[in-house]
Amino acid sequence: MKNTLRNIFHSPKFVIGFVIFFGLLLFTFIYPWFVMADPLEMVGQGNFFKPGTYVSVKDTVDSKYYTLNIQAKSANLGDHIEDKDKADMRDWLVNYGGVSQEEMDAADDNTLVALWLEHYDSKAKQKGLLASKKKAFVRLDKEIQKLASDADMIIAQENEDGELEETASVDSQQYVNTRDISNKRTFVLGTDNFGRDVLTELVQATKVSLKIGLIAGTVATLIGLLLGLLSGYIGGVFDDVIIFITNLFTVIPSFVLLILITYSVGQNARGVTLIATVIGATSWTWTCRSVRSQVISLRNRDHVNLSKLSGHSMMRIVLTDILPYVASYVVMAFILQISSGILAEAQLSMLGLGPSTTTTATLGQMMNWATLYAAHLNGSWWAYFPVVFVITIIAFSLNLMNTGLDQVFNPQLRD
Amino acid sequence: MGKVMLEVKNLKTKYVTRLREDVYAVDGVSLKIEEGKSLGVAGESGCGKSTLALSLMGYYFPPLHYMSGDIIVDGKNISGMKPDDVRRNVLGTEIAYIPQAAMNALNPTQKIIRFIEDVIHVHDPGMSKKDVYDLAKERFGILGLPEEVLQKHAVELSGGMKQRTVIAISTILSPKVLIADEPSSALDVTSQKMVIKMMRDLMDKGYIKSMIFITHELPLLYNVTDDIMVMYAGQIVEKGSAREMVFDPLHPYTKGLMGSIIVPEEGVRENKLTAIPGTPPNLKHPPKGCRFADRCKYATPTCSGMEVPTIEMPNGREYRCLMSERKIREVYENE
Amino acid sequence: MKGYKKYYGQKIAWYLITFIIAVVLNFALPRLMPGDPVSAIAGQAASGMTDAQAIKKVYEEYVERFGVNDPMIVQFGKWAKAAMHGDFGVSFSQYPRTVSDIIASSFGWTLALQLPAILLGWLLGNILGAVAAYMKGVFDKVILPVFLFISNMPGFGMAVIMLTVFGIQLGWAPTSGAYGFDLIPNMSWTFIRSVISHYQLPFWSIVLITIGGQAIGMRSMSIYELNADYVKYSRFLGIKDRKIVGYVFRNAMLPQVTGLAMSLGTMMGGALVSEIIFSYPGLGTTMMNAIKGNDYPLLSACTLVITIMVLLANLFVEIIYGIIDPRIKAAQQD
Repeated sequence: MKNTLRNIFHSPKFVIGFVIFFGLLLFTFIYPWFVMADPLEMVGQGNFFKPGTYVSVKDTVDSKYYTLNIQAKSANLGDHIEDKDKADMRDWLVNYGGVSQEEMDAADDNTLVALWLEHYDSKAKQKGLLASKKKAFVRLDKEIQKLASDADMIIAQENEDGELEETASVDSQQYVNTRDISNKRTFVLGTDNFGRDVLTELVQATKVSLKIGLIAGTVATLIGLLLGLLSGYIGGVFDDVIIFITNLFTVIPSFVLLILITYSVGQNARGVTLIATVIGATSWTWTCRSVRSQVISLRNRDHVNLSKLSGHSMMRIVLTDILPYVASYVVMAFILQISSGILAEAQLSMLGLGPSTTTTATLGQMMNWATLYAAHLNGSWWAYFPVVFVITIIAFSLNLMNTGLDQVFNPQLRD
Repeated sequence: MGKVMLEVKNLKTKYVTRLREDVYAVDGVSLKIEEGKSLGVAGESGCGKSTLALSLMGYYFPPLHYMSGDIIVDGKNISGMKPDDVRRNVLGTEIAYIPQAAMNALNPTQKIIRFIEDVIHVHDPGMSKKDVYDLAKERFGILGLPEEVLQKHAVELSGGMKQRTVIAISTILSPKVLIADEPSSALDVTSQKMVIKMMRDLMDKGYIKSMIFITHELPLLYNVTDDIMVMYAGQIVEKGSAREMVFDPLHPYTKGLMGSIIVPEEGVRENKLTAIPGTPPNLKHPPKGCRFADRCKYATPTCSGMEVPTIEMPNGREYRCLMSERKIREVYENE
Repeated sequence: MKGYKKYYGQKIAWYLITFIIAVVLNFALPRLMPGDPVSAIAGQAASGMTDAQAIKKVYEEYVERFGVNDPMIVQFGKWAKAAMHGDFGVSFSQYPRTVSDIIASSFGWTLALQLPAILLGWLLGNILGAVAAYMKGVFDKVILPVFLFISNMPGFGMAVIMLTVFGIQLGWAPTSGAYGFDLIPNMSWTFIRSVISHYQLPFWSIVLITIGGQAIGMRSMSIYELNADYVKYSRFLGIKDRKIVGYVFRNAMLPQVTGLAMSLGTMMGGALVSEIIFSYPGLGTTMMNAIKGNDYPLLSACTLVITIMVLLANLFVEIIYGIIDPRIKAAQQD
């Protein structure tokens, strides 16, 4: 036993998988100590805010200003005009603004804007340009005028007479230190369709999904192990019945059974534990099959016969003479079932049959909402990609552990 | 003296393990077989006899590696040949092999006749399917195998039938040397007898010109082969005619192997070897002196201190021990 | 020949029993729902409708179909008799279309998408696994692990990534539906081209995730076979490596055929969910709509069709297997 464990922890594949899996599990427990916000709190009003730090605008105005010698204007010009608009501007200047192609090619963002301000005229003759396009250029021009302006910005407050009174003027060279701003929030992975912080939600969902995987794996392994041991050891009619049921549920897709059962229990009963149990109860056949065939080959070994002759009870023989030999298979099957359980939950949720709860999130539900709100079509990658990544990395780590174990127990497969 | 079919001079081969350690499984073996003669090789499991069988064919693939020595088949040295040449020109026609476990030696999903075609086409790509079939049918007939076997898959044959089929396939090209590695060990008594008879028939009818028969059952060899060679820890410890080896063993190891076995009469076999206490040495680091010294009850400190030479007797008999023949007989006499 | 007859007879009988049990489960499970399923379902179904006629029709349809007052076995008889004629009733969510009509229009898309994709993924996976076992090197150390990692990705995850990268970023293929939304299905070139370009993303996303799992199985089988005694024996008879590799892969491939049959249900499950990402008009999307619209008759027909597809595929594989693997024949003769 000790030796086996040592071998297992000398398998690099197993160790890598083990570290990833338990690292992830540990992270889901530690994260809430540092971020105590409610994972399902709808912080953002609106869909899919992109990742980044959000600071309060009012606080910014109220904070102490520092003057830095940084050209704020050119940075703005570079970042705030989209590449497509830049290309349009270049085209307009060459076609209608009388700028030569060579001059255009040499121009960087700053010169481009300077040329634009110098040459653009909305009343110029723009032959072959659609009216809508002409209007678009006017709008673009306004935008650029604003960006290029380095006039001071005036901050005013309404006084008792209802008049605006200047309280401060800010020029483009003034900066505030983000440490001075008390109201800010970082969304490492942005927000989802409900305005919830994706990272915090993801950590909680990972925890719930791991729980689902563990419950499903445990249920499936227990049923499979028990039936496999009994049908292999007892044999006879009992074995025939079990093998018939096993074959039956191998051919009827467990996916279909899952859909039918989860649908039929009704929306209200569909909790996390129930879904996990149902997943486990529909996926035990593989364990049962392999345990059974192992037990049959063990049944007539010398040490088992010896125990039988010594009059040991069936319970004792199964537990001490058979179980230790099938343990490796059972552990490997258990590991795979955790990952297929997590996947099954995700697929069910995608179909709208996931756990119906408003107090927790699961990986599948996050994915489902992201899809329903078309995150994948509007470029909000942070709403679905991290979820896909977490599911993949969980499955990958479990599979690595499984492959590592396989190589320890079947040396032929080693590299 | 007949024509020499196989001569091996000081052959050394090794296994390289997964952990890149060298195991010297065949360490300086020399032997000679004449036309029409057969040689038995006996020894405990792990003594290198199966490795010797693989090494003799001159075709090496990992983990087995050739180190030095010569293998001369019918006057042609094959030890320096390229593997592809060995495969094309030697295997099957010059040297043929019967593996230890015939149960799995045949591809389970291929018809026997298809496999025979593949074997023959290596050496004679132009032979038509019909000619192959006729040849196979004739040979199977002579060896007492039913013709239907040709149309069956290996999985449909019983263990004994599979072994006999393997023997028939191995010898279909009438090789000069046949190397049989425990061809009868895994079989029931009836099948064993059939296999032995078949091997004799092959020799008598001239389908094979010489044979090396490897087994851990020394007494079996007495009924099958002309000469017997005993191996221990990768080396030959004693070699002589079957009669001499069985009735008058010289080396303490051969003596131990024969032990309490009642002298076998024709057809009567005792197949248990007397247990010799101890285990063979680790061949990763073979001992400098006599390899049997640790287990030998006659051993003296000199035995493990120096390399033991092979003593060749005038009648062609050889043994590897520091004791003289006279001394040995004296020691055995006093027991 | 006698062995074969017995083998196939047993197989077919077994599949018939399985089929009947599957049908019974399909019928009985939703009826085990707590409370009165009929009024609950009919009520829910009708709540989304504004057309009073439709509500009445649905309600009547239900009462008639389920025969609430009949004992379970009579209900089953009626249901099964109608189902045998391809009559699964009227859909709630897509009234007045019949369930059979909806299934008929989505079934083809699913079959045309999944069958070739799973088969191609299986084939490529087997080739990769065999090559990795035999040639080792870059195949075993780089390409196989990459595909293994990919195969751990859920089907919909692969779908969403393919869609983002190739559909939206690179714009190589359209991202949703089975053909351009402005087209009416016909046999014109425009339509066929549109179908083919819409087919790409869902197809390759299924192929890619199938490869890894198959490859690792094939690799193990090939290594096992390469170490088999017959390989050594064939070599010592002088047979060329190319020929021996042929024996090995044929033998390693055979268990993979059964492996395909056994994992087909799981693979289809994953692929059905991928359909949703691409709004592909197959059974997966239909099933999701049925669940969202509480459309029980449609859902149950979908699951039944999927079950039948998997059963038929399994039966087909077993029949093929009996022919190509002589071990089956040998086992029958014992």
